Amino acid sequence: MRPSDRCRHLYDVMTKATTMDAMSLPNAETVIARAKRGDPAALEQIYRAYHAPVFNLARRICRTAEDAEDVLQETFFEVCRSIRNYRGDGSIWGWIRTVASSKALMRLRRNKYRDTDELNDELSPARAASPALRMDLESALDRLTDTARAVVWLHDVEGYTHEEIGTQMGKTASFSKSQLARAHQRLRLWLDEGVTA
Amino acid sequence: MSDRHLGMDSLLAVRDGDRSEPAYLEAHRHVEQCEACRAEVARLHQVAARLKALPTLEPTTDQFPAVRARLHWERRHRVQWRLGAVGIAAAALLAVGLVGNDLARPQPLDAEQQLDSLMTRSQLLEQTLRAYDAENRVLDGWTVEVVIDLEDRIAQVDARLQDAVMLERQARLAHEASLWQERVGLMNALVNVHLTKATNVDL
Repeated sequence: MRPSDRCRHLYDVMTKATTMDAMSLPNAETVIARAKRGDPAALEQIYRAYHAPVFNLARRICRTAEDAEDVLQETFFEVCRSIRNYRGDGSIWGWIRTVASSKALMRLRRNKYRDTDELNDELSPARAASPALRMDLESALDRLTDTARAVVWLHDVEGYTHEEIGTQMGKTASFSKSQLARAHQRLRLWLDEGVTA
Repeated sequence: MSDRHLGMDSLLAVRDGDRSEPAYLEAHRHVEQCEACRAEVARLHQVAARLKALPTLEPTTDQFPAVRARLHWERRHRVQWRLGAVGIAAAALLAVGLVGNDLARPQPLDAEQQLDSLMTRSQLLEQTLRAYDAENRVLDGWTVEVVIDLEDRIAQVDARLQDAVMLERQARLAHEASLWQERVGLMNALVNVHLTKATNVDL
């Protein structure tokens, strides 16, 4: 197996694992049917099953834990109100995740965070102070601008297409592609992983 | 093979198999022949895998009680609005009934009469609760639990009443009568809980 094939395999396995982990609602059809009738216990079951991945997604996109907790609450308020409109065409997790990413992006816009239109070369003051060029992935991700971080997370981790990300951001697929490319250039530099292409 | 290495956008297109990129095929061919670019694509796969492997961040507080409270608040206000509308509709039905007698219209069906009667009873119970000003009373924890449970069940009945409009007329009347009967029972229990509490604390 070539190195690139091994990476692809690892990538696929992790994608599958992430998906499977998120689909942790036993008797999903029954629970959803009860939730559609307004059964509070069923709504709570859905919350308990998916609150962690929703918070994780929100926390990776939003700047602070407080914002992410607000997004978590907003997401499940919307899910509970709108579950009767869920038609079951896709997975329940896919539907909840779309609500969550939409709420997280809305939160970014509402807070008027920096760089919503383009990936600025400047860094936020709190993050630019770090002297270390080589840093771990978590810090590097955190150092990206809000838009770039959101695109990287939604595309590389959650698996959204550039078209879907562009739509959610009110932009084009090309916008999402260029954000991703520039973000990876940055990550490559900060992670200092050697090879010059 | 081109002497120049691929840019990040082309590398990502190859990593993601993005055939919508105009230069995808050319970039793919380049990667097959260029060791450095192949290593870059592999590195990008690794970054994605490492991102997915980052620890899952957990919230520090349980947000479900807040979600439930917001839903509860919203349902309560929606029910109050709807009951206002039901009151107008009941008055209109009464007026139609009085005028209808004069015009010797056919007698309404029993199911309709039963339905009207149940809706009126439900409305009277709502008025009793409003007169008691339940929303502004202080309740102990146990009573709050009982009240929330009853109000949730009333909200469920209301949701099923909304669904009932899709049924064919005769089936709808029977189904609605059964749901309104259930609603009256729950409203009765809710009024009793509030009034019993008021008696206990000598209000």
